[in-house]
Amino acid sequence: MNQMIRDYQQTAMRYIDSLHEAGGDRLTGRRQAAARRFAELGFPHTRTEAWRYTGIEGLMQRGFELTERDEAFPRHAVMRRFLREPTAARLVFVDGRYQADLSDTGLAGVRVGSLREAVAVGDRQVLEAVGSLSGLGDHGFAALNLATLQDGAVIRVSAGVTVQQPIELLHLAGKGAAGRAMRPRHLVMLEADASANLVERYLALDGETAYFNNLVCEITLAERASLVHQRIQQESAQAYHLCDIHLGLQGKAHYQGINAAVGGVWSRTRIHCRFTDPGAGCELDGLYLAGEGQLTDFHLDVDHAAPHCDSRENFKGILHGGGKAVFDGLIQVREQAQKSNAHLSNANLMLSRRAEVDTKPQLQIYADDVQCSHGASVGRLDEQAMFYLRSRGFDKGQARRLLCLGFANEIVERFQSAPLREQLSEVIGQRLEE
Amino acid sequence: MLSIKHLSAGVDGKAILKGIDLEVRAGEVHAVMGPNGSGKSTLAHILAGRDGYTVTDGEVRYMGRDLLGMEIEERARQGVFLAMQYPVELPGVNNMTFLRESMNAIRKSRGEEEMDAVSFMKLVREKARQVKLDEKLLKRSVNTGFSGGEKKRNEILQMAVLEPFLAILDETDSGLDIDALRNVADGVNRLRSPHRAMIVVTHYQRLLDYLEPDHVHVLAGGRIVRSGGKELALELEAKGYGWLLEEVAA
Ligand SMILES: Nc1ncnc2c1ncn2[C@@H]1O[C@H](COP(=O)(O)OP(=O)(O)OP(=O)(O)O)[C@@H](O)[C@H]1O
Ligand SMILES: [Mg+2]
Repeated sequence: MNQMIRDYQQTAMRYIDSLHEAGGDRLTGRRQAAARRFAELGFPHTRTEAWRYTGIEGLMQRGFELTERDEAFPRHAVMRRFLREPTAARLVFVDGRYQADLSDTGLAGVRVGSLREAVAVGDRQVLEAVGSLSGLGDHGFAALNLATLQDGAVIRVSAGVTVQQPIELLHLAGKGAAGRAMRPRHLVMLEADASANLVERYLALDGETAYFNNLVCEITLAERASLVHQRIQQESAQAYHLCDIHLGLQGKAHYQGINAAVGGVWSRTRIHCRFTDPGAGCELDGLYLAGEGQLTDFHLDVDHAAPHCDSRENFKGILHGGGKAVFDGLIQVREQAQKSNAHLSNANLMLSRRAEVDTKPQLQIYADDVQCSHGASVGRLDEQAMFYLRSRGFDKGQARRLLCLGFANEIVERFQSAPLREQLSEVIGQRLEE
Repeated sequence: MLSIKHLSAGVDGKAILKGIDLEVRAGEVHAVMGPNGSGKSTLAHILAGRDGYTVTDGEVRYMGRDLLGMEIEERARQGVFLAMQYPVELPGVNNMTFLRESMNAIRKSRGEEEMDAVSFMKLVREKARQVKLDEKLLKRSVNTGFSGGEKKRNEILQMAVLEPFLAILDETDSGLDIDALRNVADGVNRLRSPHRAMIVVTHYQRLLDYLEPDHVHVLAGGRIVRSGGKELALELEAKGYGWLLEEVAA
């Protein structure tokens, strides 16, 4: 075993011991198992297919710390970033730490709060849910997340309850995040026939702080439950962001995830959905934007292991400057998964000759009575469209901006919250006029 | 307003325009007719600034300036407008936003104030009514999924909103039903003023009945082979281009 991995494992073990000594920790056993799993797995490398185009050298060289630091932050700066629309509940994390006084958790039929607190009071349901979908971790970072898990959100919606207004999950990184690795884990559980709308955002209080967000999200939807999950990753320009989302959908449950990754120097989001009950549906939309020095990666892993399930994925990327993107979309339709519908598409708009994309949409079908399609495209700005716009008085930058917004619009308009649509359009507009 | 002298141009070494001379004064409407492939759209594109053409000879002055030396958007901002033969679809770009930003880009370049959203909405609604463009099309993506006629009306709407000094209409009447043709003609006539000029490329007499051009030119083989008054168009309608081309050759 290589020395670096041993060092990391020892650090993780020390962390686990310190939690234990500080007054007991109900996850100790699982943490230790995850630390051992990490030692077996090591860090992902580009020799494994899933990480082939996503190197981690930059991340490893920076060597982020596991320590916690309680750095003061300006409250008003946090509040300024609240979602500008009425919310059903709000959970705020700054530098990985839960901020109870900035959060708002009171609502009938919905139980939201901090994972650390739920674990501390021995909440059985939460204790059982940690790792129930992710396991100990199928790559080193996921295992480290569990071994050194800090805090996160727990969101539970009771059976039959419909939460109309969004539940906001806001992550902010400020000065206290500098040089640190944060390990949040979120648990979302909707009971039967419940429905909710979750807005999850990763923002920076300061545009240039370097930190690593290594997070895992486990989402369980019981029969006929339905979740709209709007996510925006807009970390600081120097941040590393790694996110694993695991979906467990029971019969006729429906998940709709709308993703945007526009920040960070390096970011990877993986969404894993396994259908084990008939009649469930999963819709994933995504938009990524990568410019000079940035890498964005989306990995989708949808496994049809039950009949009559639908999955649809539509991801679009805009690459400019020396931006790099990786898209890997895998749909498996197993033998027993008859009457499956599975559609996957990925389109990329390249604004510069130095930009790069590695796209790999894959369908693996073992059932015969299914409807499936997949496709990927890589294109440039349409010259005729540029001429048309310029002949209407737009300069090159404005024309480019409008065409990119037009390209992104199909995904942007999937976001149900108007403030999110505006925020995204603004970001795209600003970035592309640079 | 526009002065074209000995303009020769081509694509990839292939000559398309072979010495065009044309004087367009403020207040005038010029019709340009001619067989398919004679270079009408090429001329229109070169005036609007489209890339890909090489000008091999001649010059074009617009309001005293060297038009060919100006960027595409600079021409638009100075009042040149091309209604295209094949308007381009812009998926995801809202028609209303496109029009407003276009107008404001032009205004800003002239040091004028931008128009606010409410006043603009009012203006566009009124113009849309005038050119009989279904208001629903304002909310859709620019030209995307529009019928042929709707695309042409949308070009005329843009022209009506942007109020150019020099409007070049490239076969805006092609593919239009009789009512739409009337609307297009009305749109052009409404814009007519002593300060503006228009170049209307068309294959049909019908539009010219409504427009009553001051001059009619026939473009053939990259040259203007005949110029005359509106009666020339009637003669062409009756006899076709054959006789003219023979006469020129003789
Ligand atoms: N980009 C290009 N590359 C090659 N040839 C071109 C290009 N653009 C125009 N041409 C050629 O130049 C000639 C003139 O074309 P143009 O489109 O100007 O004709 P037009 O008079 O507008 O015809 P129509 O009445 O059919 O619209 C044609 O032979 C055409 O094929
Ligand atoms: Mg033509």
